[in-house]
Amino acid sequence: MSQSPTMRSIGHENDVVFDNIGMTFDTGAGVTRAVENVSGAIPEGKFVSVIGPSGCGKSTLLDMVGGLLKPTQGSVSINGEKVTGPRRDTAMVFQEDSTLHWRTVLDNVAFGLEVKGISKAERYDSARRMIELVGLKGFEDHRPGQLSGGMKQRVAIARALAMEPRVLLMDEPFGALDQQTRQFIGRELLRIWEKTRNRVLFITHDIQEAVYLSDEVWVMSARPSIVKEVVTIDLPRPRPEGTHALPRFRELEDHLWALVKVEAEKTLGPGARLA
Amino acid sequence: MVRWAILAALIVILEVTTRTGMISPALMVSPSEILARLVSIVPTERFGQDAARTLTTILIAFTIGLVLGIPLGVFLWRVPAAGRILEPFIVTGYAMPTLLFYPVLLAVMGLNAGPIILIAASMSLIPIALTTMVALKSIKPILHKLANSVSASPRQYYLKVLFPAATPLIFPGVKLGFIYAVIGTVAMEFILAAQGIGFRAGFYYRELNTADMWAYIAVVIVLSVLVNAVLTRLEKRIRRDML
Ligand SMILES: Nc1ncnc2c1ncn2[C@@H]1O[C@H](COP(=O)(O)OP(=O)(O)O)[C@@H](O)[C@H]1O
Ligand SMILES: [Mg+2]
Repeated sequence: MSQSPTMRSIGHENDVVFDNIGMTFDTGAGVTRAVENVSGAIPEGKFVSVIGPSGCGKSTLLDMVGGLLKPTQGSVSINGEKVTGPRRDTAMVFQEDSTLHWRTVLDNVAFGLEVKGISKAERYDSARRMIELVGLKGFEDHRPGQLSGGMKQRVAIARALAMEPRVLLMDEPFGALDQQTRQFIGRELLRIWEKTRNRVLFITHDIQEAVYLSDEVWVMSARPSIVKEVVTIDLPRPRPEGTHALPRFRELEDHLWALVKVEAEKTLGPGARLA
Repeated sequence: MVRWAILAALIVILEVTTRTGMISPALMVSPSEILARLVSIVPTERFGQDAARTLTTILIAFTIGLVLGIPLGVFLWRVPAAGRILEPFIVTGYAMPTLLFYPVLLAVMGLNAGPIILIAASMSLIPIALTTMVALKSIKPILHKLANSVSASPRQYYLKVLFPAATPLIFPGVKLGFIYAVIGTVAMEFILAAQGIGFRAGFYYRELNTADMWAYIAVVIVLSVLVNAVLTRLEKRIRRDML
């Protein structure tokens, strides 16, 4: 059920391809090797999650794919083109609240399209559809200040989806939410994704969430991080509510737990829990 | 409500104390007499010219403060090294009584609105530049990340993200900048000028004409209160729209 990432056949043209990518931060305070020698690919239409101990370089990896950070080693390419900066066909959702507090929900969701220069009528049209899709219908004219954390994250997700990205990058988008809300939004996300089937790179520290959502889960090691193992999630799709109770689900979850535990102990010492 | 009551009480106290001679007429005349003086001063052509001169000076100084102060604030934020180097100078400029340069400027530029505009504008500019810098610094890094991730152009970045995010924080500085423009203008006029409301107040002060001096001071007070009310209302509007 798992392969070493370097053994995989890498790089179909339509994939997101990591070619021996690495990132070293050189600040005045010292040098941090955040990511090292990551190779792999997100195949067309696949949902890939990344898990690993806190501080191992997951966000760094995602930012490199999003073109926000330039790797100090190797490169990422999307559709055969090397990523040199933010691309119009990728969209990102961040862990922190990234809503624009002076804009209404509608104008927040339309923001990405507005920047792309899409006409008002057209972008509002898409924005309204996305707002409905993420379950915020009726809140179009509200401002983020009037919304809960979960709703704000749904605004951010709707904004990313409205851009109809071919690659969707999400950095612990449900990290700040309570367990019930994150399970609910996770199901919603999957329901929406079944329709779009774009490539998703999803970062989480929640193993259940990773198993439930993904086609593949990449387990990152403690710093300097490599992708230690790629676990293929061979659960059938669509995945209804009872999926969590399947014996196969439990098996995959246990396997990932075991992998992650080793890494967490490396960073935090034995007996530590996954952060 | 309470504010109006305080104001009314203050006027009554002034009226009583000045009339009973508890405050010497050489220092202050009664509000009713000030009002009487205003009624005869305000309709005159000379008052119109003075008021026009003072208002245009204030507006020009404030506009310069705004037009230079905001880009300066942006620059100090964009180039942190420049910010670190220049900040002590700016803060010193803030603390220093700039009006000390007035005589020098008068000698160089002559007795016209120029020196006053220069001083009032530089007083107005500083709080505007400083609050702009602080406001931009305080914007959450995630907003920069977001703008970057959607490939916003520099123009879009400033107009759609930075300025809307910073405006509620910049506004108090802009308000302060306006107040400084008023203070700078009226104070310089008071010291030495050929025209203007501050000049008249100073003129009557030196003539020991307390009643007319207070009439002009009253004009400045009313003007400040009006401007402050307008700015406060504008600020509330902006905050409501942006927060
Ligand atoms: N801009 C940066 N400058 C210096 N070090 C950084 C920077 N960004 C991240 N790091 C360091 O790189 C490591 C990985 O960070 P990050 O990718 O945020 O981890 P994760 O998302 O897995 O928690 C951490 O040790 C962090 O301190
Ligand atoms: Mg992170």
